[in-house]
Amino acid sequence: MKLLSKTLTAVMLSATGVAILVARCGDLSVLAASLPKVVLSAEGLAPRTIEQRTGEVVTHDYAQAWQDLAGALDANRADLLGDYITGEAKTRLTQRISDQKKTGLRTLLVDNGHQVKAVFYSPDGGEMQLEDRVQLGIKITDGEKTIYSADVTQKYLVLMTPGADRWYLRSLESVPDKAF
Amino acid sequence: MKSMGRTIFHLSAVFLASALPVFAQAPALQAPATVTAGQSFAIRGSGRGTFYLVGPSHVLKQNVDARQEIAIAGPDVSTSGSYQAILCSSDGCINTTFQVLPAAPNRLSFLLHPSRVPVNTPNAVNGTAIVSDRFHNTVIAPAKVDFRLSLAGEDISSRSVQSVRGIGWFEIGSRPKQGALQVTAALNDTTEPRVIQQVASEACGLRMSATPGPHAVTLQTEPIRDCAGNPLPDGTIVSFTKTDAAGKSTVDTPIKKDKATAKFEVSGPAHISVACGEALGNEISFAGRP
Repeated sequence: MKLLSKTLTAVMLSATGVAILVARCGDLSVLAASLPKVVLSAEGLAPRTIEQRTGEVVTHDYAQAWQDLAGALDANRADLLGDYITGEAKTRLTQRISDQKKTGLRTLLVDNGHQVKAVFYSPDGGEMQLEDRVQLGIKITDGEKTIYSADVTQKYLVLMTPGADRWYLRSLESVPDKAF
Repeated sequence: MKSMGRTIFHLSAVFLASALPVFAQAPALQAPATVTAGQSFAIRGSGRGTFYLVGPSHVLKQNVDARQEIAIAGPDVSTSGSYQAILCSSDGCINTTFQVLPAAPNRLSFLLHPSRVPVNTPNAVNGTAIVSDRFHNTVIAPAKVDFRLSLAGEDISSRSVQSVRGIGWFEIGSRPKQGALQVTAALNDTTEPRVIQQVASEACGLRMSATPGPHAVTLQTEPIRDCAGNPLPDGTIVSFTKTDAAGKSTVDTPIKKDKATAKFEVSGPAHISVACGEALGNEISFAGRP
């Protein structure tokens, strides 16, 4: 079993080249035209260590979840949340989209990349907690009018859980700057 | 000179007095830096227009005359996270950001693994508890979580942990005695009980005996138990294997009432062995037809 270590080689995630994982200095990174950039560090992860393939999948699926949520908030379509987002994260985003629809708002997220640190991986492999520091451009519009626009660095506490063929984003909570 | 100075002072006062209402009407928003989830509060604002509150799971839009405070109801800020308060008027939009923090911890999501476990196995049982408030917000601040373990006929043992980033976990070995192991995660008055079935481990000291009959030999094991004396559950498969001149033939049979039985025809020299899981039992040799 290969554990995520400091010396990882480049790995092609899919034959179509949709996303490429690049290992560098203990990090896993998703670089792709379509997916947000996610760099995952798993150094010191406990109590269970993470295998390289698991790290690759978590990195990809977390990036995919962010792409989905950005698309859903922009288009006000909760049906875009279903593939990689579940549980409380899905419930909250669905409610937000429902409210956006009612009020005529839309949110455009420009995802400028995630620095993710895996901080907890349960002994049975059933939950993984991540800390994410994400650079976001946020634009909120009411109809044609922009009511809010900002570039922010936001921190999130994330819970991922494994499914049959992927990892799901189960909880996504923005936390204060000093949280980690 | 003195009267001129007094006149200038009066003019300044009049100018400031006339200017103040103009400044007072300029839009402004002031929110507390942090708010507790579910608690109502007020945003101080001035100006007239459309007010928006945009949070992780909720969006509020209303017309306001914000010369007074804008009251925010508790349910509008039940989700922890970053919120934008925005006030748009004919002059444009202004905004302020504030953070909603989780309320007091009073919920646990408790995952216990596995559902069945062999007795006496090191680090075989683990549990993870996620601490949240009544709105399902993860409580990041450390909280004391107690894990209480009890097996019928044994004393309750407990283990206390401080949650880190909302997660408390433990890992222990299974007990020597089979039965239902109840594990309860507790946070203040909140308890989440779960049960693990502890089952017998691998068979230990597996032995069979043979009873020759007119056409076949009947094989029966002694009661099959693990090394701690727990009987293996009915249905556990026991394999009897006969090796003779014709080769090998195996009969798989489930344990019934602690024992397993099988019949073999024996027409020449043969060896019969018995196994259950990873445990090998004794062998019996036959010189010919029983």
